Amino acid sequence: MLLLALYVVPFAGVVSWSVTQPEIGFAQYWRILSGGDMTNVFLRTLRIAVISTTITVLVGYCLSYYWVMGSRLRQTILEVCIFIPFWISVLVRAFGWLIILRDNGMANSFLMAAHVITEPLGTGRNEFAVIVGMVHFMVPFSVFPMATVMRKIDRRILLAAHGLGADPATVFRKIFLPLSMPGVFAAFVMVLVFSVGFFVTPAILGGGRVVMVAEAVFVQMFQTTNWGLGAAMSVVLLLLIGAIVGLAYRLLGVRSFVG
Amino acid sequence: MENHFKQDCLIVLKEKLADGTIDRRTFLTGLVALGAFSVAGGHMAKAAGGDLVVTNWGGDAVPAFKSAFTDGFSQSAGLAVKIDGSGSTKGAMKAQFDSGAVHWDICDADPGATKSLGQAGMVEKIDYAVVDKAKVEDGFAYEYSIANYFFSYVIAYDASKFAGDPPKSWADFWDVKKYPGKRTMYKWMAGSLEAALMADGVPMDKLYPLDMDRAFAKLEELKPHIVSYWDSGAESQQLLRDGEASMGLVWHTRANLVETDTNGAVSWTYAQGIMAPSGWAVIKGNPAGKEAAMKFIAWCQDPARQVVLLETLGSGPANPAAHASVPAKLKRLDCSAPENRALQVAMDMDWYAVNSDKALDRYLAMVGG
Repeated sequence: MLLLALYVVPFAGVVSWSVTQPEIGFAQYWRILSGGDMTNVFLRTLRIAVISTTITVLVGYCLSYYWVMGSRLRQTILEVCIFIPFWISVLVRAFGWLIILRDNGMANSFLMAAHVITEPLGTGRNEFAVIVGMVHFMVPFSVFPMATVMRKIDRRILLAAHGLGADPATVFRKIFLPLSMPGVFAAFVMVLVFSVGFFVTPAILGGGRVVMVAEAVFVQMFQTTNWGLGAAMSVVLLLLIGAIVGLAYRLLGVRSFVG
Repeated sequence: MENHFKQDCLIVLKEKLADGTIDRRTFLTGLVALGAFSVAGGHMAKAAGGDLVVTNWGGDAVPAFKSAFTDGFSQSAGLAVKIDGSGSTKGAMKAQFDSGAVHWDICDADPGATKSLGQAGMVEKIDYAVVDKAKVEDGFAYEYSIANYFFSYVIAYDASKFAGDPPKSWADFWDVKKYPGKRTMYKWMAGSLEAALMADGVPMDKLYPLDMDRAFAKLEELKPHIVSYWDSGAESQQLLRDGEASMGLVWHTRANLVETDTNGAVSWTYAQGIMAPSGWAVIKGNPAGKEAAMKFIAWCQDPARQVVLLETLGSGPANPAAHASVPAKLKRLDCSAPENRALQVAMDMDWYAVNSDKALDRYLAMVGG
């Protein structure tokens, strides 16, 4: 009942806006799907989300592996490296990256002083910076589901494989990797869903150029009061996320998410 | 769009208070003058029992402020004033009207946005029997709002590089050969189309109605040289101060702060500046009634208060009578003073009322494309 009152009813309102404002019809949806400016916002959002999610999961996988399989000391160091950024606000992290990545920032200054490059790389205030910022934000979120799955892998199986003559690379490829895949998929879906809704990081690190769906909805609602379009974009975004999650459930089953 | 500017004023004011440039008293008077009645408690002061709710871009509560302001206006109108700082965006004003639960009496809002809301029947007409048309710069007393202060979009530049031959026009701003370095422009479009057209040779008095195709073609030209489309005043200041941008289209208040910050290493000019008004507006069905709201607006037209606003925030007075009493050291900041206004073009809010939504969508698409 509470869910119905607090979520479903208001959302029904949003859906109705999307087909009634400014006039009745599907004009707002056509605008999103027709290949114009709003289509670009969605495509850009999806592209950035998929790229940053892929990198996040790769980085997160390596970290999880070290975290789970490493010595006590290594585990402690990794925990510090995973948890401290996790606790820092997304805003602070975005500004931190800006200071590092901008043309006269730390990264460029260092590389220029070391004579690796002669001109700033143009790493700040663009899509590259946005992806760096998003990956950094999301790595901890990808580590948790993957590490959980990895912890459950029975070490005796690995030992047995080793005992039967498999070298470490084979053990990893044939045993550990397949057994850890449910965690990878769960992390991928979770991070992807997270990334399509990003707002602050692209707004700060994108130099004003990388407007993603969440910010575009904000513009339509508060700046131009084109509520119909804003609502239609929210609906499309929700459908998109629903499709991602639905597909994942279909392919992987519920167990890999709750297990 | 100009909503951002108001929010920015409060940030500047708070910084000044924090670093001791101004004292608390000046701070409070500044807020009053601006109409930036900072939030007591922070949220949704709801009018009750004849109170007046003024909305603006508040921040932290300033406990002493409320009494300071309320006392002043209570004496003149016999009403208590509550303050809501949750921000009178066009969307928020429309939402209040649509829901039938209006709890703001007076909004500090964008005159262009207000006009389109007014034409949709959501905003009251200004009652010029109560509010004095003579107490506002010519041309800024609108049907649905009236200017309460001014600010300008100006060219700020790296004086350490360009001091010998400083930029004097938007054409110079576009000239990356003569004035090398990255540029920064406003993410929310206002002022950018005018700048582009002037750079393309359109005379200042022939700008409106803006030729959008021509403006966008010119904006595209500069796009590769933009380091960032700034979103907040602080960001524009940082880009110039740290040398990330050698030139920028920025608010004159921020330009002035960078100049002070850098001891003149960054400077700015009113040349071809675009002067924009902010306005008072009243949503239809406001709880305290139209009459009380109009009285309040009239009360704010007092020139002395507007000079205090200039002192604390750098926003130009709406009342021309105020310029005479502006102290010499603040003359430069007074963007609506005749000598400064002569160099600038006034933003046509009627054009924005009709075109700004479409133009902003196009602008954001251009910027992101």
